[in-house]
Amino acid sequence: MSLALPSHRIETDRLVLRLPEARDIDAYVAFLTDPVRADGFGVEEDRPKAWRWFALNIGHWALHGYGYFTIELKETGQPCGITGIWNPEGWPEPELGWVVFDGFEGLGIAREAATRARQWAYDELGFTTLTSNIVPGNTRSIALAERLGARYERTYTNVQMGEDLLYRHPGPEALCG
Amino acid sequence: MTLPEIAIPTIDTPDLILRGYRESDFGAVAAFGGSERARFVGGPHDRWTCWRAFLAGVGHWALRGYGMWIVEHRASGQVAGRVGMILNDGWVEPELAWHIYDGFEGRGLAYQAAQAARCYAARHQGLDRVISYINAENTRSIRLAHRLGAQFESDGELLGQPCQIYRHPAIGDAA
Repeated sequence: MSLALPSHRIETDRLVLRLPEARDIDAYVAFLTDPVRADGFGVEEDRPKAWRWFALNIGHWALHGYGYFTIELKETGQPCGITGIWNPEGWPEPELGWVVFDGFEGLGIAREAATRARQWAYDELGFTTLTSNIVPGNTRSIALAERLGARYERTYTNVQMGEDLLYRHPGPEALCG
Repeated sequence: MTLPEIAIPTIDTPDLILRGYRESDFGAVAAFGGSERARFVGGPHDRWTCWRAFLAGVGHWALRGYGMWIVEHRASGQVAGRVGMILNDGWVEPELAWHIYDGFEGRGLAYQAAQAARCYAARHQGLDRVISYINAENTRSIRLAHRLGAQFESDGELLGQPCQIYRHPAIGDAA
């Protein structure tokens, strides 16, 4: 039996969004074990746990056909963040997520990447709606969600993060204008 | 460089099918992970943690080229456990592991599954004379290790928890 990993690779002006590869592991581990930067995403307490998160994202791609892309900066080839569609057990519905790794903030990378990933999910995966789950107080992420046109819908309890704000993005028709 | 396709081979034994993962297997995996039976594999775990482990089990195949199979009981079609090789970050060397679920013990199924997985790993995955990490209180698992011909090698530690390391005999092409 084979679980085919999809070979999605999409681009923006400055970025490549591609499936995670083994060479990305150190960048993911650095992010996931950083208690400040990963606070709104889900902190992993050590490298072994972060490695397993990396593995489970690949499993997510294999079982669902989508997951978190590695965002790669075209100019340098460096992994600079992740974005994609995430739908774990217990999640209210599939969500568009984004994070930017240390040193790559303030460049508009999250906005550029998340906009492209959302378009991909609508065009290629056929999603008709998408949410983003954001922990209260994550003002940067809330600001980006709003810039992407998402609107606060409700507060709920997330199985991983606890109290969580659900934002809903404009659907594919609305984005086509 | 890209990740290889996740090719999980299927192995047939008299009573079992060792195969890759389906989303529908998660219920059985979570039922085991959430039960007292999981106390020797770091559990019991909540459903969220089980989901993480389930998907990480798939990703392991992509990252290592080997991993744990789903063990399906041929006659009933039920998921009877998981078996195979683990090298998560934090493991000193690849480990042969077996989880047998409620209702499938005492019939020699764990032996059958572990032997098939060990043989496949030796022949096709370059993993021979492998170890098993076993909790010292897990007497059933220790009995199975002995039955498989494994010998106690040393006390060890896995992710900060004490455990025993058993070493399996060379299988090579003989099995």
